[in-house]
Amino acid sequence: MGNDSNRVTRRVFGAGVVATSLAGVAPSFAQGTPKRGGTLVATWGGGEPQACYVPAGGGSSPTFSSSKLFERLGSRTMEGKFQGELAESWKPAADFKSYTLKIRKGVKFHDGKDMTVDDVVYSVSEIWKKYAAASALTDFAGITAPDVDTVVMTFNTPIPEFFFSSLLCGNVNYIVPKHVYAGSDPVTNPANNAPIGTGPWKFKEWVRGSHFEYVKNDAYWRKDLPYMDRLIIRYVRDPAGRAAAMEAGDIHIGVFNPVAPPDIKRLTGTGKFVATPKGYEESVWSTTLECNMRNPVFAKREVRQAMFHAIDRNFLAKTIYYGYARPGTSPIYSPNKEFYTTDTFSTAFDPKKSAALLDAAGYPKKADGKRFAVNLLAAGWFTENGKIGAYVKQALEDVGVAVNLSVPDRPTSIKRIYTDYDFDMAISNQANPSEPVPSTTQYFTTDGIKKGVPFRNASGYSNPEVDALVEKIKVETDPAKRKALVFQFEKIITIEAPLLPMLELESITVASTKVQNHSNDPNYLAATWYDIWLAS
Amino acid sequence: MQRFEFIGRFARNRGALIGAVLILVVALMALLAPLFFPVDPLRIVGQPELWPGEDADFPLGTDSLGRDMLSMIVHGARATLLIGLFASAVATVIGVGVGATAGYFGGWIDEIAMRAAELFQTIPNLIFVLTIVVILGSTLTNIVIAIGIVSWTPIARMTRAEFLSLRDREFVQACRAMGMGDLKIIVAEILPNALPPVIVLSSLVVAGAILFESAVSFLGLGDPNVASWGRLVGDGRQLIRSSWYICAIPGVAIMITVLCLNLIGDGLNDALNPKLRDR
Repeated sequence: MGNDSNRVTRRVFGAGVVATSLAGVAPSFAQGTPKRGGTLVATWGGGEPQACYVPAGGGSSPTFSSSKLFERLGSRTMEGKFQGELAESWKPAADFKSYTLKIRKGVKFHDGKDMTVDDVVYSVSEIWKKYAAASALTDFAGITAPDVDTVVMTFNTPIPEFFFSSLLCGNVNYIVPKHVYAGSDPVTNPANNAPIGTGPWKFKEWVRGSHFEYVKNDAYWRKDLPYMDRLIIRYVRDPAGRAAAMEAGDIHIGVFNPVAPPDIKRLTGTGKFVATPKGYEESVWSTTLECNMRNPVFAKREVRQAMFHAIDRNFLAKTIYYGYARPGTSPIYSPNKEFYTTDTFSTAFDPKKSAALLDAAGYPKKADGKRFAVNLLAAGWFTENGKIGAYVKQALEDVGVAVNLSVPDRPTSIKRIYTDYDFDMAISNQANPSEPVPSTTQYFTTDGIKKGVPFRNASGYSNPEVDALVEKIKVETDPAKRKALVFQFEKIITIEAPLLPMLELESITVASTKVQNHSNDPNYLAATWYDIWLAS
Repeated sequence: MQRFEFIGRFARNRGALIGAVLILVVALMALLAPLFFPVDPLRIVGQPELWPGEDADFPLGTDSLGRDMLSMIVHGARATLLIGLFASAVATVIGVGVGATAGYFGGWIDEIAMRAAELFQTIPNLIFVLTIVVILGSTLTNIVIAIGIVSWTPIARMTRAEFLSLRDREFVQACRAMGMGDLKIIVAEILPNALPPVIVLSSLVVAGAILFESAVSFLGLGDPNVASWGRLVGDGRQLIRSSWYICAIPGVAIMITVLCLNLIGDGLNDALNPKLRDR
């Protein structure tokens, strides 16, 4: 593994950031009692959502805004343990084809109605199955409520416990009020823009183009929480504007890279802010490079490997991400405690090997010094992607591949990569939780090739061996055996290289040192923030 | 003789002279770029974010990726000037064509042409350019076409006005009486007389085109395979608080060039406008 030494330094670097942030927080923790009342203003490193809540997910923005109002059945701790939220506990049947869940009692929706098992049954069968978790619930058979506090979910095949628990924590796998959604089209229900949930925060107002205002839910089931009276989610279009607003004290916390990397150091340097990479363990972002298998040039896997060998991922991590990234070594990312392995095929930077592989594959340099030409598309939704495109163009040209780079805007990029397949190589991004099925696997399986569905298998890679392996991973209920199968999957994918993460990105939360109890959930952007408070 | 008079009148405007000299320097820079910097300007050659003067190899420093700023500025002059000239040429050809036809024939042709021009004028220019570039794709040719399409209307109106005042003059009537065809009258007789103010306007369109291209590139919609000044400003925007020179250097280059082109426009106006001859 050529990247191992570097991995250590990246980790150490990350740890350094955490350490400074904790040092900044520590005195406030020592003060003990959380302060009650006040208004917290939060933002994130993106724009306003299309709706406050989108049943199918709709990306990070609506997930961020809706997750403060709705709750899930379960959540994961920073240590990786699953814990109950609206469900108190769950356990599988002996054959793993059904799960029994105990539902929390005494929980009320924001409109004063009780949350019951009917709401759970409705949410799972009508919202999860059809929208929120449609690709994960392919083998879902049904859900019943035998009891006032019990529901039973049944499946056509055995379902591994880790998969099931992860499902309960899924980004937008919320329990929504049946009395609001039943009989309507959930996608267009007006309540999506003024959601009624069970969460610690109640929707008050959405001033479009500016902010959401949420107020404390006095009837929240966690007694005496939340601490604060109001939560404002403000949207600022420009990273520099966010940095200025934070410095002015107008915004207290920004999740998911609110400011440009050079500004992170500047802000933390004042001693008034902390920056931490914690809180993204269940939503690790990567920058990927994929080869379009529809182009016969990429038929041989050696050619695809050669593309990756030509690229210096350490350079990208250091220069373009200012160290807030590390080279990717596997389709499963390194913070994944359950399934990450270093026993993968390495396509580390080695231009000589790249050239040799291309020669051997039947693409020697022609008279003009070029082997073949490719259209490289860098998805323009992150500025960094365009810069990576510029570097990848140069790196590939160094091994004799002529590159025409384009950096289209977000809608055009999505259309060209995931609908028209109009690219030879594409630079895109994905964010995955620990459970590899289906979010990671659908980039590689044949059933993941879904024309027009963004963030699926766009390379067109189809391999019966991989398909069969993923089917086994889906139904293997023995954790150790399942782990071994996922390791095997990682090895095959890194050898085949239809799409690989070039970089794992370190997402950063920047917060004022006054903000307490933050970054304490492995998917903090999508957490409910019930325990956050602001020191004076 | 006449030519010297023209140059003399042009040079009497000191600003225009300075502008012309500076533009000449920029043009030379653009022409000789491959001689001084044979390597692709978009190549990463050094450490990222070296300040100007920090390293003798890179007198103007390096950008966020480690590309040589000086090389990008010099090569950028090429892209920027070419875009300006070609966009202006596109706008002038469309503008003169439409304006001459409308002005010469009048009537319903004039009505249609001018309504069309108004339609174009009511659409905010930058938004229109961005729309065309997004639809056609971000390549150099498409950007040139897009800028040409939004910039032709003032030229068309100016040409039409000149044609309206010239089409009934005696010399034109004489040509008609001799049986000369419409096309020949337009191209050979009226156009040369209508051209001076149009040339002034075209020189200003060059400046406008450079600003349009900068704005398009600044917003990240420029051709990523070409080093242009606007793109450099856009790339440096994120770093404006820490490494402001990445924005400032190409920004100054754009400012100087556009200013010089405007000065040249003034000088041309002085030189070509007979009424100002004896000022």
